[in-house]
Amino acid sequence: MAKIKKFFRYENVGMLFVLPAFLYMLAFVGYPIIHNIILSFQDVNAGNLVKGTRNFVLFDNYLELFGDSVFTTSLWNTLRFTVSCLVFQFIAGFALALFFSKRFSLARPVRGILLVPWMIPITVTALMFKLLFATDIGIINFLLRSLHLIDKNIEWLTTPGTAMFALICANVWIGIPFNMILISTGLTTIPKELYESASIDGAGKVQTFRRITLPLLKPTIESVLILGFIYTFKVYDLVYVMTSGGPVNATHMLSTYSYKLSFEMFKYSKGSAAANVLLVILLFVGVFYIKATTEGENE
Amino acid sequence: MKKKKLTALLTAMAMMTGILSGCGSKGAESTPAKDAPAADGPAAAQEDAAAESDSGTASAGDAQPVTIWYYWENEGHQMTLDQLIQEYNGSQNQYAVTAKYVPFADFKKQLSIGASADELPDIAILDSPDHASYVDMGIFEDLTGKFDVSNYYEGTVNSCTVDGKLYGVPFGANCLALYYNEDMLTAAGGSVPTTWDELLETAKALTTDSVSGLAFCSVQNEEGTFNFVPWLWSTGATSYDINNENGIRALTYIQNLIKEGVMSKECINWTQGDVMNQFIAGNVAMMVNGPWQIPTMQSEAPDLNWKVTLIPQDAQYASVLGGENYAVVNGKNVDGALDFLTYATSGEKVKFMMDQFGYISADKTIAESQFAEDSPYYPFVEELNYAMPRGPLAGWPGVSDAISLAFNQVITGTATPENAAAQAQTTIDGIVK
Repeated sequence: MAKIKKFFRYENVGMLFVLPAFLYMLAFVGYPIIHNIILSFQDVNAGNLVKGTRNFVLFDNYLELFGDSVFTTSLWNTLRFTVSCLVFQFIAGFALALFFSKRFSLARPVRGILLVPWMIPITVTALMFKLLFATDIGIINFLLRSLHLIDKNIEWLTTPGTAMFALICANVWIGIPFNMILISTGLTTIPKELYESASIDGAGKVQTFRRITLPLLKPTIESVLILGFIYTFKVYDLVYVMTSGGPVNATHMLSTYSYKLSFEMFKYSKGSAAANVLLVILLFVGVFYIKATTEGENE
Repeated sequence: MKKKKLTALLTAMAMMTGILSGCGSKGAESTPAKDAPAADGPAAAQEDAAAESDSGTASAGDAQPVTIWYYWENEGHQMTLDQLIQEYNGSQNQYAVTAKYVPFADFKKQLSIGASADELPDIAILDSPDHASYVDMGIFEDLTGKFDVSNYYEGTVNSCTVDGKLYGVPFGANCLALYYNEDMLTAAGGSVPTTWDELLETAKALTTDSVSGLAFCSVQNEEGTFNFVPWLWSTGATSYDINNENGIRALTYIQNLIKEGVMSKECINWTQGDVMNQFIAGNVAMMVNGPWQIPTMQSEAPDLNWKVTLIPQDAQYASVLGGENYAVVNGKNVDGALDFLTYATSGEKVKFMMDQFGYISADKTIAESQFAEDSPYYPFVEELNYAMPRGPLAGWPGVSDAISLAFNQVITGTATPENAAAQAQTTIDGIVK
């Protein structure tokens, strides 16, 4: 009796509340992940998907993948895409957040309007940017030509290097509002009194920013960057619609290449191995995020 | 503190769920409910599905359900299929047929997922080059001897034959041919090209600041491969043997079209539909495309003056065979599926479907009497004599990928025709051997 009573102490009751969610996750997240991991160690293709003769090939799929130049390119692409996007959208988002934290008329409505890119479905954004960057009919080439910056149309989406640039532009445009709104929220949590006393003590703008704003925003910045990393790293729809991984596989990401392997070429095991590489990298970042947030709470 | 950590862990896991299930959940949404076709699904399909199940219940109380998956997004195609099904359902009361639209981009995925989850339709109407892959997967019923296909175009029958056994019935046939804008051609004083050299000359004459001489879809996927193989085959090369004089000549010719500025590099981002839109907008003077564009072209640009001719030849005329096949899924309602197919492949019904679709019948006798000589479809019937199928090969998707990579490398200038051919050959050898 006492034991049961002891079991239903406050902390343990909390566990019971978590239980349904935990079971749900086990069934709908845990199972697919484990299944995917097993799949990546087998040799499953169009020929034996239904027949059920699945041989275990251990690390063959992974070895084959890392010897596949399209895969290594897509891994590298995903990394440089993520890092470039993060840098630009964070800087622009931060600057806009600081700007809109000033009280001036229209600050609030304009900030609201700036959120639109974040709310538009990504497919729509992708189609829009595909047209903007079109060679002969695109408005970007038209503007550059009108300003006499170029004499020949730039083939944005049909040249490997510039296609990646176009993708980054589109993604930064989507990501800026996300960064801006989270940092804006972070800014409101900094007590006004700190700035007041700093100005009484004669601190300059740069000093206030470096000594008050940045340190107090640290937890927010960490979350923004890590969440941004995860959102950007798993990019799929934007790339699929804008370039489908082309030209000549130059803009394949881990997600699009994994899809292509599985569902266009019927190499299910190789596709799942590629997806697992994505998973491992994101898990690593996820653990980092948990550490960062729990440390923040401990302070 | 422990509790907090746990909560944080769970939130983080929940976050990861969103990430990982990103692709999966999309698929699940559009996965058709097998036995309740009207319940949920893409809006486009909902209408017909609802209409069909109405007619199904009207004709029979305890009729066995037979489901069909197809991927035609064209409304006219959907309504025609619906009409055929309603007539069939009205003609007997043993089976109730319903059809389900699955978008083309998802079709392969849905069939694969359906195969492993045992949730397949009874009949699939699928793209012919994929047929062999699914036969290899073991999901299709052997139809040898159940249908008379002796009068069908050889290529269409080959596309659904594996190891001498028939695993499908061709639905319709199509192929690619050359469309040209007659007004532009007359204005430029050119003549209808029949050889590669003439084509290049004509394309040069037709190219202006705002008009490209020639265009064909060169997207890096099956659709692009479909449009490139006529050039490859015209030299005498085969899909499996590219790294030779002929294969390199085909790639060099495409490279020249780009270099000479008669074809836009943008073709690597244009689907066949995009190419057609550029053609009717007057931005492109000649295009390679299929007969299924004709109804749209006639309704969207009734005043445009265009004609169709054979794709110009290098060593021989060549075109590529496209179209869909019916396939019966094994272990399901095979009797019902066969009964419907027997109905749908009768001469009268085939003719009705083909005329409504703007397709050419896979049945030679029907095809030859289908169009008048002045019909825009007529050149396609002639071109069909030179049309060859892709594959059939279970590993065709891999071969197709290698070929489409090769011409994309050449078009974008990232590899020379020689290197592109050599690289493609290595990949193809790894699949075919």
